[in-house]
Amino acid sequence: MADIVVNGNTSGAVTLSAPAVAGTVTVTLPATSGTMLTTASSTGVSGSAISSGTVAEAYGGTGTSTGYYGFKNRIINGAMVIDQRNAGAVYSMSASAYTLDRWLGYLSQVSKYTVQQTPSTTEAGFAVRVAAGFTNYLGVTSSSAYSITTTDQFFISQTIEGYNIADLAWGTANAASITISFWVRSSLTGLFGGALSNNGASRNYPFSFTINSANTWEQKTITVAGDTSGTWLTNNGVGLRINFNLGTGATYSATAGAWTGTSFITAPTGATSVVGTNGATFYITGVQLEKGSTATSFDYRPYGTEMQLCQRYYWKLCGSTLGGSFLPMVLMNATSTTNLSGCIQLPVRARVAPTSITLGGSAPSISGGTISTNMTLDRSAVDEVLTYVLGTGFTAYYTYRWLGNADATTFLGFEGMEL
Amino acid sequence: MYKLSKSPTGNDVIIKTNEDGSVTSMLKVDTDPNYQAYLAWLAEGNTSLPADEENTQ
Repeated sequence: MADIVVNGNTSGAVTLSAPAVAGTVTVTLPATSGTMLTTASSTGVSGSAISSGTVAEAYGGTGTSTGYYGFKNRIINGAMVIDQRNAGAVYSMSASAYTLDRWLGYLSQVSKYTVQQTPSTTEAGFAVRVAAGFTNYLGVTSSSAYSITTTDQFFISQTIEGYNIADLAWGTANAASITISFWVRSSLTGLFGGALSNNGASRNYPFSFTINSANTWEQKTITVAGDTSGTWLTNNGVGLRINFNLGTGATYSATAGAWTGTSFITAPTGATSVVGTNGATFYITGVQLEKGSTATSFDYRPYGTEMQLCQRYYWKLCGSTLGGSFLPMVLMNATSTTNLSGCIQLPVRARVAPTSITLGGSAPSISGGTISTNMTLDRSAVDEVLTYVLGTGFTAYYTYRWLGNADATTFLGFEGMEL
Repeated sequence: MYKLSKSPTGNDVIIKTNEDGSVTSMLKVDTDPNYQAYLAWLAEGNTSLPADEENTQ
């Protein structure tokens, strides 16, 4: 018996067909009454067969065949909510530097643009961004009308740690596709883009997108077939770098939509130069890079979780308004009458041991003695940092309280963990 | 301006006073961007200040 035909009550029929060559297969029907899952838009199931299809997010599925629900976004701080270094103040970009957490601002000529974390609700069309769920964006503003040379490069980028892209299997025959999605707004229109690259930038994929309307938030989606060539690190080194071009010369531009072995490509050929127009803006938020060929909803993570993810790469220890003698930032032990030594535990395990610390804000104080050389890095590990203070008038083996100023601006920035 | 320092545990440390008044101390690690900037500054012919004093435990 190849087919079983069940006639409808009034018309039509359902035919259950066995394959031409059937193995020993058992299909178990549900034990309760109801309607079996069907492939139809009304159920959110798509695909030629349920076993290989996808279930839309609206119906409780992932929207992709990857099976990911949470932590699908490999970008950290894609919603631009964390800005430990500058707390929303303008980055003048007098040199290439990290701006909002995890986002590097790169420039081959200094001071050609500024960067700022912006929670604005005043830019035209902001309601579209807010409705999409993004209260903040990374805003780039051009500082001049600079004519780029063939070797110039201006971009913002994020480098994803190798551990976080290991499952993509890039550099192998099984390289998985990825999809990048983001919201963007510019005072300029036309062709924009960026590039993906590996450690050493020996493998690069320029991508492009079009901004259709000036000063209007638009969502863009780009799917990239995984790279089956090259070396892609899967450890705590540079896994995958994504950059968004702000102006790049011909030397570092290449045809969009294809992998290239030409080194250090950071833009598609013909991309608009943001730094070429004084006052031009380029805003971006909701950046997501996920496995698969479909852009799904943004992976909103709790603020505290996102902060911890950022602190693996940079940490800012801040004083509080509860400072004074009651809440020292660091407890230090006098190892002699002129040396204090203090151990600071990092909030999360760092990617690598910090190699610099910056003491800033209002001057701190000490609960005894006189400081000559303030909080200085001595040595470090991925979990803790040993610091020292030099001065006079300390009593050996006594404990001293290193105190942030009561205005709560004193900070210690732990650096050198970024990629 | 950069100044050399010797930590109580014997490490060589470089201390930089930044334009905004903040102070960055860095280890001699080639991958550290601050140390790279220090090396570039030295390459321009500049000389760092010596440590105030030797400090050992």
